[in-house]
Amino acid sequence: MEARWSEGLNLNKVCGKYRVSLWQCPQFLFLVMGVVIIVAVLSAYVVASRYQEPELAALSVLILTVVLFVVGHMIISAFERVAISSLSKSEFISIMSHQLRSPLSAIKWQLNMILAGDDAKFVVSDESRSYLETVYDQNERMIRSVSDLLEVNRIEDGDLVLRPSLFSIAVLASRVASESEKYSSANNAKVTVAMQKDIPMVYADEERIKRVMEHLIDNAIRYSAYKGNVVISLEKKNGDYIICKITDQGAGIQDSEKARVFDKFFRSINALRYQTEGSGVGLFIAKSIIKLSGGEIGFSSLLGKGSTFWFTLPVKKIIINIK
Amino acid sequence: MKKILFVEDEESLQKSLGAALEQQKYQVFRALDGETGLSLAKKELPDLILLDLILPKKNGFEVLSELKSDTATKDIPIIVLTNLEGSADVERALTSGATTYLVKANYTLQDVIAKIAGVLSHSK
Repeated sequence: MEARWSEGLNLNKVCGKYRVSLWQCPQFLFLVMGVVIIVAVLSAYVVASRYQEPELAALSVLILTVVLFVVGHMIISAFERVAISSLSKSEFISIMSHQLRSPLSAIKWQLNMILAGDDAKFVVSDESRSYLETVYDQNERMIRSVSDLLEVNRIEDGDLVLRPSLFSIAVLASRVASESEKYSSANNAKVTVAMQKDIPMVYADEERIKRVMEHLIDNAIRYSAYKGNVVISLEKKNGDYIICKITDQGAGIQDSEKARVFDKFFRSINALRYQTEGSGVGLFIAKSIIKLSGGEIGFSSLLGKGSTFWFTLPVKKIIINIK
Repeated sequence: MKKILFVEDEESLQKSLGAALEQQKYQVFRALDGETGLSLAKKELPDLILLDLILPKKNGFEVLSELKSDTATKDIPIIVLTNLEGSADVERALTSGATTYLVKANYTLQDVIAKIAGVLSHSK
């Protein structure tokens, strides 16, 4: 808490964040206004006590009012400037992401065509195939990064709109587990699913819940550092919720970092130690999506033993059987 | 043979998805801009339309609303296939009558073909 306070007082740092000069920075201008008010009250007192003429006191009050008006005006335009710069930033991000995604999706589809293998025109040797698959995987990584950036932008603009439907989270969990197999085996990890029978359907945005699971599993694998089982489990909770837990046997999270895990761009100190990939937006996105879906998200972690990240989703009471 | 109209200005996508659809024994009509797309739709009355949103001459939203206001074409299912993903864009496309909204980068060619088959099987 104290660290935050002193950061707030460091105006150079605060104003540097907005990339505006000191005289265009709201925090600094507020400070100036405070000083002006104090000086004004003191000098009005001095003037009034030394000279008896009411005109002089009235004049000093008038001058001070004008000064306050000017500073006030500067503060408002400074706020406007900061607001506009963040608006153009989010527009920039959405235009850039669209521009980036067009060529990325073109690459993806051409490679899909070549690698599908159902066209005699494309005879790909095993060696070429492995290179092309690497290109494909890297391209997918880039697509995911751009999508994550866009998602963060939407969250910050309050523009994240979910498209909920009724779906089987049990089926989804199995699908995500099998899709993660390639990545997990490359990292010597194993992802398994453990669930109760009769897990009910949930009412949520399936694509986005899938992304949440993927982010949590990616993290679990990445921080497992070559030794680990990752378990996805599904349980009913109080009849009204489903709780999904993703447990790893990885590095765990330091106590000092626990409060910031869901912050945007937060990356654990372990991320550097284990040289893991990632931009640090996964958990921020996951939290926003789960909150908006009416669920909760959290974790427990023991340093050196591993972490369990969990989230809940509300249930529509339709029971299906998963064999 | 089912007819599919593919309105997309990016030629590499025309080439890959167009060829993949032909492999699946669909008859594919191609349009590289909105106006051509609209006139082809009226002339060929395809079973399904794949529509990009950012297009030269007439954008996808305009094409969409014109198709939906014409009695001859209003029942043709339309899959919007784009890289735009703002919630306002999604909302506008769906309320204008698009059957499905797909973000290109999020789907493989095979996924897209499966979605097309799904929509076609529902429509008839």
